[in-house]
Amino acid sequence: MYAGLSDGDLAPRIAEGDHEAEAEICRRMGPRIRLYGLRHLRSPSAADDLVQQVLLKVIEALRNARLREPDKLAQFVLGICRMTVLDLRRSSNRQKELLAIFGGDLVPDPPPMPTLDDRQLASCVQALKERERSVVVMAFYDEQTASETARALGISEANVRVIRHRALQQLRDCMGATQ
Amino acid sequence: MTTPQRGRHIDCSNPLETAVLMDYWLADLSSAVEETVEQHLMSCDGCGDRLRGVIALAEGLRALARSGSLQVVVSDQFVKHAAETGLRVREYAPPRGEAVQCTVAADDDLLVARLAVDVTTASRVDLSWCDPQGVERQRMADIPVRVDGGTVVCQQSITWAKASPSATMVARLLAVDEKGTERLLGEYTFHHTRTIPGPPGWEMP
Repeated sequence: MYAGLSDGDLAPRIAEGDHEAEAEICRRMGPRIRLYGLRHLRSPSAADDLVQQVLLKVIEALRNARLREPDKLAQFVLGICRMTVLDLRRSSNRQKELLAIFGGDLVPDPPPMPTLDDRQLASCVQALKERERSVVVMAFYDEQTASETARALGISEANVRVIRHRALQQLRDCMGATQ
Repeated sequence: MTTPQRGRHIDCSNPLETAVLMDYWLADLSSAVEETVEQHLMSCDGCGDRLRGVIALAEGLRALARSGSLQVVVSDQFVKHAAETGLRVREYAPPRGEAVQCTVAADDDLLVARLAVDVTTASRVDLSWCDPQGVERQRMADIPVRVDGGTVVCQQSITWAKASPSATMVARLLAVDEKGTERLLGEYTFHHTRTIPGPPGWEMP
């Protein structure tokens, strides 16, 4: 029913009391908010909590027609994500309170994460050139930036980025990725 | 590398490059680019799916890096950080031209060789692993070295070491010039004694 509608098209419907449109927004936005949460909170459970809290605020705002420009729904949601992550960092108590009140009602099932063949990945990494392997291992061991890896290995930051990108492309090719 | 442009209509006809998604995951983008990427992801499920693939690869690499099963040149800070985060690190640092007795225990997580060397005159350094007769069994070509570091830190595969029977290995650090001429920078001998039961015979990883 809503397949042909953009995210922005759904916003006014929610203000008119369309609960199916609310469900559709949750279905669309939930996985996107979860990715934001994974990136900034580095925890699947914290990302799930973020989805709950953000969707709650978004639906409340849309029901009350507080989004004046529906075409800017994505930016609106992103802004709530940012504020909520800041709130979460400031006060984990507030998070617990909200979760106690609203439970898991708003959270759609997240899309499954792709799985990798660990042995194949190890074989692919071992096949990299020495510098590439060093950069990859050090970059991902504790998610170092290019700057940190460059300092540790005594090569330039730009070189680290080039090596890292090249190595990751080789790994994706080796693992059979299509994009 | 292309990044999405602020203000343009964004859909999957303008997909984020995989390299940008990986930089995003590693928190290695400028704040302005990161904001643009996040706006794109908040309205593009195709790139979200690709980001999930990037996260899976990153998580797999992190697990692999922490497993200690790779043979790789690392940094001093890497080893310190591993120890600080609770990994049990076994290190050997034979002086140049000398030998050391070594082993690994079942609960070791990382095995590291520290090879003191002066690389200030070398444009390229190879690490050659030889048997006691001097026959090269493996070469790690063009390893990353800090000119001011004075030490090459090589992580050996702990998985392989735990399975290896007692044996002697010789590590040679070689300076290689543009013509392929090699110059010995240092030689280090490891007498490995097995302390974990396992099958006889072994091959270099």
